Amino acid sequence: MAEAHGAGGADVVVTGLAAIAGTGWDLAALGERTAAGDPAFTPVTRFDAGRYRTDLAAQLPGDPVLADELVAILDRACAQAGLGADERVVSPLLVAVHGDPAVARLPESDRTGPGAIADAIARRAGLGPAPRAYMTACVAASTAVADAATMISHGRAHRVVVAAGYLVEQDNFALFDAGRSLATDGHVRPFSAGRQGMLLGDGVAAVVLESAEEAARRGATPVARIAGWGRAGDAHHITQPDPEGGGMTRAVTAALRKAGRVPADIGYINAHGTGTAQSDAAEAAALHRALGTEAARIPVSSSKSVHGHTLQAGGLLELAVTVHALRTGRLPVNAGYAGPDESLGLNLVLGRPWEREVDHALTVNSAFGGANTALVVARV
Amino acid sequence: MTTTTDTALSVVDLSTVDGLTVLAEARFPGADPSRQPAPLPGFVSSSFAPLIAQAADDCLRQVHGEAPAPADRGDRTAVVVVSVRGDLGTATAVAAAIEAGKRMPPILFFQSVANSAAGRVAVTWGLRGPVVCTSPVGDPLADALAVADLLVVDEAADEVLVVLVEQGAEQATALLLGHRAPTTE
Repeated sequence: MAEAHGAGGADVVVTGLAAIAGTGWDLAALGERTAAGDPAFTPVTRFDAGRYRTDLAAQLPGDPVLADELVAILDRACAQAGLGADERVVSPLLVAVHGDPAVARLPESDRTGPGAIADAIARRAGLGPAPRAYMTACVAASTAVADAATMISHGRAHRVVVAAGYLVEQDNFALFDAGRSLATDGHVRPFSAGRQGMLLGDGVAAVVLESAEEAARRGATPVARIAGWGRAGDAHHITQPDPEGGGMTRAVTAALRKAGRVPADIGYINAHGTGTAQSDAAEAAALHRALGTEAARIPVSSSKSVHGHTLQAGGLLELAVTVHALRTGRLPVNAGYAGPDESLGLNLVLGRPWEREVDHALTVNSAFGGANTALVVARV
Repeated sequence: MTTTTDTALSVVDLSTVDGLTVLAEARFPGADPSRQPAPLPGFVSSSFAPLIAQAADDCLRQVHGEAPAPADRGDRTAVVVVSVRGDLGTATAVAAAIEAGKRMPPILFFQSVANSAAGRVAVTWGLRGPVVCTSPVGDPLADALAVADLLVVDEAADEVLVVLVEQGAEQATALLLGHRAPTTE
C-alpha cells in the first residue's frame, strides 16, 4: 500500500524523545523494564499512604518537582534532536499537565492554572510560545501530539515540541482511592482474569516533532514517524467508557485512515489497559470493532502494568514505550497476568518480550468524559 | 446563521481563522446578572460544571432545539472546554479534604478533571467528536478558536462546541463553530 502523508501534507517525524518514570531516570530504563514486564511499584514515600486501600505506586526516588523535571526532559529531547537555542526559541511547545496541588492551597485570588505552568516551562526551556496546557485528563498528552501533528502536516509549523508530566501526589492518590480505582492486590493486570484496577505512576516525557523536510534540512535523524492520529468521543457516560467502545473505534479507524494503513499492517498495540474491569473490556471491544479479525492476531500489551497510570502524561510516556519497542524489535510484556479473560479475545504479549520486526504500531488512550485517542507510529 | 442569547452582537473575531463561522453563541449569565446556572446532578462543591452545562445548553438549544442533537451532526461535533484556571471549586474541595485529614468524598473523584464536565455536555447532546480541555496562556477566545481550527482542518470534527468558563467571575460563553459557508455571489 502506498504511504500516506498525514492529512495529505507533510510527514511528521520524531527527532527527539526522552522520558523518565518509576522505572528509572531515562528512556532506556523505561524501555527495558516495560519490555521485560518488570513492574516498578513500591510503597509511597512522599506522603503517608497507610490510610488508603493500597500504598503502592511506581515512583522515582525522592520528591522531584514537576516543573524542574519537565524543563530537564525538554533539554534532553531537544539535545537529541540537535536543536540549538535559535531553533528552540521558535519551536512552539504544547504541554499536558493537570495542575499544581500547591496552587490549590493558595487563596483563590492568587491561583493560576495549568497554562501558567506551560508558559513558565517554555520560558525556562528556551522554547517558543506555549499557547496552552492540555488538561484533558488521560488523553491530554496524546491530544497534544495529535494537535502538534496537525500543525505540522498542515504547514502551520515546521516543528512542535510536546511535553507532559505527572508525579504521584496525595490529592490524586486520595481521589483514585475514593473512586475505588486502585488495585488492592498490588498488581496492575491489564486484560487479565482477576484484574482489580490501576496503580498510579510518575511519568515525564518530551518529544520533538517536525516535518520530514525540516528534519532533513537540519540533518536530524528521525527515530520514528507519527503516521496517523485520530480522536473521538463516546457521548455515553461522564466517567465510564462506552462498553461497545464507540469513541475508541472511531479514533483508531481515523488514525489508520490517516496513516493509509489497514489493520493487517499493524504489528503491535500499546493499549490504554488500566487494569480495571470495565475499561479493559470496553477497550477490547473497540479494538475488535476497529480491527476486525486482526484484533485477535496483533500483539497487545499495556505498559501501565509496569510504569503505572501516569494520568496526563500517559499518552506521551506510552508513545515513548511504543517507539522504543519499534526500534529494538522487542514488544513489551503485559505484566501482572494471572490468567485469561476469554471474553476479551486479545493476543497479549506474555512471558518474555516478543522479538518482532514491526513497521507500524498503534498506541491508544481513553479518559473521563468519553475522550479517546489513537496514534499510528511507524518505524523509520 | 449567527444567533446570540444576548442583545449585543457577537464579539467573536474570526479574522485570524479561515474556514470557521459562528453558528450560535450564548453568554452566561447574559443580560440578567442574578441568573444562576441550573443545578447539575452528579456535580457538587463547584460551579465549574454547572456553568459549562448551562452555557452549552443555551447555545445548542438555539441550533438543535431540545437535546440531543441530530445524530449526523452530533457524531461530528467536538467539545472543547477552555478555562485559564480550571476547576477551582473542585480543587479547593480536594485540598481541603486532604488538609483536614478527612475521607475523600468519592463524588469528587468523578468530577476531578475538566473532562467530566465536557463529557456531561457530550452525553446530554450526543456529541461524539473529540473532547478537549485546555488552559490557555494568552487570550482564551483566540486560543479556543485556534484549537477549534485544528480540529476542523484535521477533519476530526465538522462543528466544534467551545465553552469558555472562569470561576470567580462566574461566567461562561459557549460558541458553536462550523465551516464557513462558501460565498456564492
